[in-house]
Amino acid sequence: MSNPDVVVIGGGIVGCSCAYYLAETGLKTRLVERGAICSEASKSCQGHLFLWELPEINIKLGRFSKRLFKQLSEKLQIDFELRNTGSMPVASTPQELETLRQTVKELNSLGVECSMLDIKEFREMEPNITPDIAGGAIFPEDAQVNPLLATIAISQGAKKFGAEIQTETAVTGIELTKDKSRVTAVQTTAGKINTKYVVNAAGAWSGLIGQMVGLNIPVVPRRGNLMVVEHRPKSIINHKIILASGYLDSLKGTSKFAVAANVQEAKEGNLLLGSSREFAGFDKSVNPEVISQIAQRCIKFFPVLAGMHTIRSWAGLRPYSPDMLPIISGSSIEGFYVASGHEGVGITMGPITGKLITQLITNQTTDLPVEKLSVERFQQKK
Amino acid sequence: MDEIKLKSYEGKSEAIIENPDMIICRCEEVTLRELMQAIAEGARTVNEVKRRTRAGMGLCQGRSCSRLVRKLIADFTGQKVGKISPGTYRPPVRPLPLNVVASLEVNTNVKS
Repeated sequence: MSNPDVVVIGGGIVGCSCAYYLAETGLKTRLVERGAICSEASKSCQGHLFLWELPEINIKLGRFSKRLFKQLSEKLQIDFELRNTGSMPVASTPQELETLRQTVKELNSLGVECSMLDIKEFREMEPNITPDIAGGAIFPEDAQVNPLLATIAISQGAKKFGAEIQTETAVTGIELTKDKSRVTAVQTTAGKINTKYVVNAAGAWSGLIGQMVGLNIPVVPRRGNLMVVEHRPKSIINHKIILASGYLDSLKGTSKFAVAANVQEAKEGNLLLGSSREFAGFDKSVNPEVISQIAQRCIKFFPVLAGMHTIRSWAGLRPYSPDMLPIISGSSIEGFYVASGHEGVGITMGPITGKLITQLITNQTTDLPVEKLSVERFQQKK
Repeated sequence: MDEIKLKSYEGKSEAIIENPDMIICRCEEVTLRELMQAIAEGARTVNEVKRRTRAGMGLCQGRSCSRLVRKLIADFTGQKVGKISPGTYRPPVRPLPLNVVASLEVNTNVKS
């Protein structure tokens, strides 16, 4: 294999999307992945395209990304189960309902399509939900993909444009010029790769890659637990259901762990129950306490779940960024780019992140403003 | 399924050529053809095959099909079956009603 122009580190949806758009522009692209394609956070999620996470920049990134998913499914001719399912947050108390009303109002003013629902309206759309709710809302633009198929499809698309996908290859170091001003090579367990550009898309591990070049990337792993429920001959839900207060709290939560409740049906008919956010270092064990709480909360809203069987639970490490904004930028080291820190919206923002990184590397105008997403916000001012 | 991919199995397991539509993962109804396609596309472990085809995602969690999937990968790559890592098993191992999970008294740290 000859030397590439650019090495992408990480084979999750963000790394694969970077490789795809970089290869599409004609750059010689090599993706290196420690394990297999889609073997960490991208496989440990529900595949929800979440289009209303504030602040506004996240909403813009998400909506743009959804359009790119649509383009990708047409271009690649691979069905990764992109579906417009919509999501419905539910409020259990009048106070929660009021908070939700404020959120909906704010989102409406930002152009997000959403509206409040009273109990009757909510239950007409979701007949299996407990009558013991205060109300809810609907976000019809939210969608979902099968994150496994989507990530693999995008990696195959990158290959079609000539990208090399090198799995089972871990990065062990990054070489810089003597004055440490620019990138020259990536050292891996399979040898050295000379390159002009490096994209750090190593997710929860991207902080460690940053250390290799002396760059502060304060991204740390945050664990998410999920459960899958046997598939049923008939759907019990029609949209993705999110317990509103739990979800919003878990986003901000700094406590040991935060548990939300959300229920989503995969195309095959399995239900996916989530979710949680928990700091546990690089430990990927399932936390039985969290799993138990997720079950309790989901049953509370969908009593019909009580007798259904869970067949598997698992946990993944998502890249937590301390200010809840992703990092999509170049850096003070010429040729070193960062695409990380997406935490719960990695699938949502995968394609747009790949596109923006490509535009930054090739000096094109970016589709969206990226100044606020720069890794420089975390560097000490000199 | 194109013939080129079928050919790569020639001399390895004759049954494959004769009946590519046989179901290997019964829970998710995944056929031999679909599994071979995934392996031909580059899947090299039980987990990678699972992510592409759903084989092993069903009620039995791969208890029956994962051995067959390992054999297929081994045949295709010319390795011994023992060299192909089995899939990951995760709690609850056997299907468990959610109300039981909800009332779990947690006193052990389950390592996956």
